[in-house]
Amino acid sequence: MSATVPATDLVTVTIDGIDLQVPKGTLVVEAAKLIHRDIPVYCYHPKLGPAGLCRICLVEIDGMPKLQIGCNTPVADKMVVRTLSDKANEGRRAVLELLLLNHPLDCPICDKGGECDLQDFAMAYGQGASRMIDAKSSKPKAVDLGPTIVLDEERCILCLRCVRFDDLITHERSLRTDDRGAHAIIATATGHPYVSDFTGNVTELCPVGALTSKTYRFRSRPWDNHRTTTTCMQCSVGCQMHVDGRVQQIARTMSVEEDDAISDGWLCDRGRYNIGYVTDDGRLTSPLYQQNGEWIQIGWDDAIELWANAVRDAIAADGAASVGAIGGGRLLNEEAFLLQHVYRALGVENLDWRAGRMVRAWPGPLPIRGHHAELAAADVVITYGVPPAQTAPVLDLRVRKAVANGATLISIGDHLASAVLPCVRVATFADAVKRIPSGAKHVAIVWDGIEVADAHAIAAWAGALDHATTTFRLYVPGEQPNAFGAEAVGMLPRDGGLDTRGMFEAARDGKLRALALLGVNPVLHFPDRDLAIAALRATPFVVVSELFMTETAELATLILPACSAFEKTGTTTDLAGDVLPVSAAVPSPESTLADGDMLVALADLLGIALPAPAALDATIRELAAATPQNPPLPAPDGAPRAIASGETLRVIVEASIFSGGGTLAHDDRLGELRLTPRARMHPASAAAFELEEGDAIDLAGPERVRLDGLTVAFDTHVPEGAVAIVAGVPAAPANALRGAVAVTIAAKRRAAEAGVLA
Amino acid sequence: MASPVVEILTKGIGELNLRDIDVYRSTGGYVQLERAVKELGQKAVADECTGSNLRGRGGAGFPTGRKWSFLPNNGRPRYIVCNCDEAEPGTFKDHMLLEQTPHQIIEGILIAAYAIGCHHAFIYIRGEFQDGFEIMRDAARQAREAGIIGKGIFGSDYDLEFTIHRGAGAYICGEETGLLNSLEGKRGEPRLKPPFPAIKGLYGEPTVVNNVETLAYLPHILKHGAAWFASVGPERSPGYKVVSISGHVKKPGNYEVPLGITIRQLIDECAGGLRDGRTFLGVQPGGGSSACLFEEHLDLSYDFDTIAKAGSMLGSGAMVVFDDTTDFVKASFALIRFYAHESCGQCTPCREGGSWIEKTLARIIDGRGVPSDIDVMKSACHQITGLNLCALGDSIEPFLGSVLDRFEGQFRAYIERATPVPERVAV
Amino acid sequence: MSVAHTEAGVADWDPNVFREGVYFDELYLKLRAECEELIGMYEDSRSALIPMAHLFQEHEGFTSPNALAAIAHLLNLPLAVVESTISFYTLFYRKPVGKYMLQVCRNLSCIINGAEEIMAHFREQLGVGHLETTADGLFSYEEVECLAACDRAPCMQINLRFRYDLTPAMVDDMLAAMRGGTFPVKPLAQTQAPGRTWKVEQDTGRKSAGGVGVSDPNNAGGVGDRSGVIMLDRVVNDPAFAARSRERLVRESQLRPSSGDGGHH
Repeated sequence: MSATVPATDLVTVTIDGIDLQVPKGTLVVEAAKLIHRDIPVYCYHPKLGPAGLCRICLVEIDGMPKLQIGCNTPVADKMVVRTLSDKANEGRRAVLELLLLNHPLDCPICDKGGECDLQDFAMAYGQGASRMIDAKSSKPKAVDLGPTIVLDEERCILCLRCVRFDDLITHERSLRTDDRGAHAIIATATGHPYVSDFTGNVTELCPVGALTSKTYRFRSRPWDNHRTTTTCMQCSVGCQMHVDGRVQQIARTMSVEEDDAISDGWLCDRGRYNIGYVTDDGRLTSPLYQQNGEWIQIGWDDAIELWANAVRDAIAADGAASVGAIGGGRLLNEEAFLLQHVYRALGVENLDWRAGRMVRAWPGPLPIRGHHAELAAADVVITYGVPPAQTAPVLDLRVRKAVANGATLISIGDHLASAVLPCVRVATFADAVKRIPSGAKHVAIVWDGIEVADAHAIAAWAGALDHATTTFRLYVPGEQPNAFGAEAVGMLPRDGGLDTRGMFEAARDGKLRALALLGVNPVLHFPDRDLAIAALRATPFVVVSELFMTETAELATLILPACSAFEKTGTTTDLAGDVLPVSAAVPSPESTLADGDMLVALADLLGIALPAPAALDATIRELAAATPQNPPLPAPDGAPRAIASGETLRVIVEASIFSGGGTLAHDDRLGELRLTPRARMHPASAAAFELEEGDAIDLAGPERVRLDGLTVAFDTHVPEGAVAIVAGVPAAPANALRGAVAVTIAAKRRAAEAGVLA
Repeated sequence: MASPVVEILTKGIGELNLRDIDVYRSTGGYVQLERAVKELGQKAVADECTGSNLRGRGGAGFPTGRKWSFLPNNGRPRYIVCNCDEAEPGTFKDHMLLEQTPHQIIEGILIAAYAIGCHHAFIYIRGEFQDGFEIMRDAARQAREAGIIGKGIFGSDYDLEFTIHRGAGAYICGEETGLLNSLEGKRGEPRLKPPFPAIKGLYGEPTVVNNVETLAYLPHILKHGAAWFASVGPERSPGYKVVSISGHVKKPGNYEVPLGITIRQLIDECAGGLRDGRTFLGVQPGGGSSACLFEEHLDLSYDFDTIAKAGSMLGSGAMVVFDDTTDFVKASFALIRFYAHESCGQCTPCREGGSWIEKTLARIIDGRGVPSDIDVMKSACHQITGLNLCALGDSIEPFLGSVLDRFEGQFRAYIERATPVPERVAV
Repeated sequence: MSVAHTEAGVADWDPNVFREGVYFDELYLKLRAECEELIGMYEDSRSALIPMAHLFQEHEGFTSPNALAAIAHLLNLPLAVVESTISFYTLFYRKPVGKYMLQVCRNLSCIINGAEEIMAHFREQLGVGHLETTADGLFSYEEVECLAACDRAPCMQINLRFRYDLTPAMVDDMLAAMRGGTFPVKPLAQTQAPGRTWKVEQDTGRKSAGGVGVSDPNNAGGVGDRSGVIMLDRVVNDPAFAARSRERLVRESQLRPSSGDGGHH
């Protein structure tokens, strides 16, 4: 470990008789880890730093009369540390006795049993019996802290890791201490639940069973769990994750602490908790074929045959141009590759992964792909469009780290980069560029991939940059977890093929005969909902591979029940271009197939040769690493952005990891996390329209588009003259507005009449 | 015998309205501050303070000049905060100084501020001192009107701003880093040291925290010279001290004396001795955190080092005298309950240990003690010492440990009178 | 401590939404100017948190949820942070307290000088215990830690104003005065100098002696007093006097006859 550290910066320290050399400033607890002497800690955490509260890490240091805490003592040259001397042992025994004095004997019913630091250290260093004969202090137990977390105040040892996490890592500061002394407890602001995209992390940080997940409560013991390490496929960040299965069902997921490169050891609540859908009753379990308005169950052989016949017949009748396939962003790399491989082998070029608002997962040939950890080291972070806080929360933690280290955060236009960090708000990209502090060496832009004009602006600016003095990195969190991978393996139309919109228009006009939709839900996400519906209705053969009967699946001719990401093995590609392993953690339900297996069967019937697995693997890695060969971005359409007039409101479409379509809609345990349809407005704008919080409104746009039943909520972060809605909320899908940029309020109902509570 | 009582800080209290700046100035007030700024210069003032060997009068007894010398020369703004969060049981000297001679305190603070190159000084007044706060506020207003606070004091080019800040009921805010956190608008929880306030204090900048009394001596040290102060009493613990004497004495009160007189002198010659017909059992020499001293200690010199060598501490200079009517079980309980109540709760030993001992003593007093309680308490309070984040946790053992030793009989008596079978008690 | 969910969509709750209409009613608009002045006194605005909380509490009698939210808004801090800070300090009352906040010292010097008798007497007379409020909302009673007035034990504070050398009879007189709607006058029997200032040559008959030449501070009007100290104590203890100038008060004191009625506050 000293290879890259200059010798002058090394010091020698002796720990329990073993000499070692470490960089100056290394904490005693970290130095001890190097010789596998894990000094027990509670409040100290490598990512949170020392706090000096628990006092369990006491060690004896020669020359110092009192025991010292190893977590806040940097090694000095020639320091001699004793962690197992009588004095150190006695100090630890004393601290453990004191921690256990009021700690409830909950082990048999506590979720942490078996992986609890208090149990472990008590066994190793404690004394066995309590000397207190008074009653243990009583504090609230099973406190419903929020939708995801249960808090047991009696078990809490006040290490404050949770509070410090919410302060130093998320910067949200909604967890706090209340009162002081022996009466101190953990709490939130009175009346406010603990709501955040990152709540689950505190259950891992908590050394005891004080903070536990509602979804895991009383479900399993760690020794009963079978652990698989995989990559989360709920967004494009690619967090590494442990999946703990128990008797072939997923009991819980946990972060990978050593995943410094991607997740930094954290998970967002979507990735962590959205697992219930895997065993939901709504899962499709056999192929379904539409006949005379009814769904009939058919076998896989028949299903694949129907699919193959439909495609073959369509090509025979109207050529390859009458066939299309949309999908890949939620598939594994192998599956996305096979999809475009099979269809291209048939001469089909109507291929697209995009079923939402994004125009690109990777905007062009610029060699500026940013990696997650680098983002935390940026001097300036510019968010352009929907911010990472809404689409890729764990990536946003890197942004928060950058700002905590002094980076400037600039957000452009209608979307505020952060509700918890100070940021500069500007109107245009040109303005943002002007606000880059002189002397900034590392600039990062996080772009949502939606507006073509944005991409051109970034490309133009990056092209003119002096890369010798300024490093520039671009991050594009995709709408779908494997957007980057799907795009890299070729799920974009080439040589005059139609993109998604083109396919839908062709379909609506009767020119498409067979359409395949694999892992996409355009009816909920495609910007023009009516067009998507019309297209699917007009296409004679629509095959949909899905887990649930979604809005899109309902319009299919043939539904193929797919495996979830927890039930198949392969690779996915994150937004930085890393090819990451996905490993099946549980067996898939009978009669479901991985999309890859479906495509293999299809290829077999169609007589298409497939590459061997090893060759496929190599190809995928090459493609991911290469500069994308996709067609260039179209020119911006030059349409002016909407300006609100007195009567109209500008529409701002936002995202959320809890919008609730797809798998989240089928996870009953997370019902409280799903968003209800809301229209957020600046209080002044609301006042201009005589709206109060809690009123229900209907929005209307040009060409008679409507979006009904939104609840008004005030938010001073929303610019005046605008209304912000979240895309993908099934009860009020934003795409019903068909991309309208300005709307009027067609109707409003007071909260009381609307029956909606504020 | 000549009374040991002197009048330096306490001169004029009770006779003159020292809250009025004109009255204060008529006694020579603010002359030294002006002299410091206009004649002496910062270094000379700091040297006088160091040369006087003035040790902190708030409890820790750290040499003041040395504390100032820890400030780094890094160009950062510096702060001085006067600690008027007097809450150590038995101490009431700063309360008197605050209400009776606020200008003397202001002068001391500003002299120190000037000496260390600070342009914004603070005083942190405990929340309960509502009267004192209003008095200080009025005094500061007068000083500002007289050009002693603000831009270019005394017509010089030295700007010196002064802010009065109130606490809100937390003894731990008397600990210097707890005070700084409280002054920053946070929970008054002590910080890990290092870094020390001199390096990273208020707002992360180099800061000095000094007690009211310590600072109040500065004008006098400048007036009479460092040697005048350093030559009084023991060499390492020189000068004068306002001692708050209370408990079982005829004349409790604040008495300003030279360090080095004996404990006996303080009790008999200053505080009028014990009440009639009573005998002496013990004395807590330096506030609630000090171990109890007994008959054999009465002729010890009252100074920092002698008292420390005797196993106790001079601390804030608060003496509580116990005669033979004292119930040491209840007295201990009052202090332990105090520490448990004032514990900030950050670190395990103080938080859990203080509460444990409090519960035990409460049960004993309630008549449900058991014989093992004595040894358990001795062991418990001993094991807490030395493991804590700040000195409050270390304050739990001294008094209780010393009286458990000397007056174990009183504790046993409660236990012998107790109901035989202990019940669980909710605290 | 138990946390209730908000009713409409827990996931929708946004801690950063400031509801202007709810918090800034007239009182708050009035206090806002003072708050901004307090903020201006410090290099970091958060330092104004405790002074602002005192300000709101002085007007509302406790630190109300609205006050906490207003402070959070003015200082741009999360509400949880403000609440966490306020909850640390015992002088901030989280719930409304009685008109008179009675805080009796229960620490060492007071305990060994008869505080237990006083505390028992209070509990008996009020019918409430430690940290409780009488049903009529008149008194809140708390047993507190050392008030730094150990030489005048037992002692207490009423709405943060000291009362020393307590006896059960004094307690009765004070309670009667407060029940009658007046802030209790320092009983005449109470000993002298407001500060604890001791001259060595003293008359040991009294419990604590005052200085030479200082008249009894409770002598009405202070006529004949040459220092003006007495009147100033009354000034400090009675808000009604606070606004008047020193000169005027001294002048008034010289005009007022020595009626022995204990003054008026």
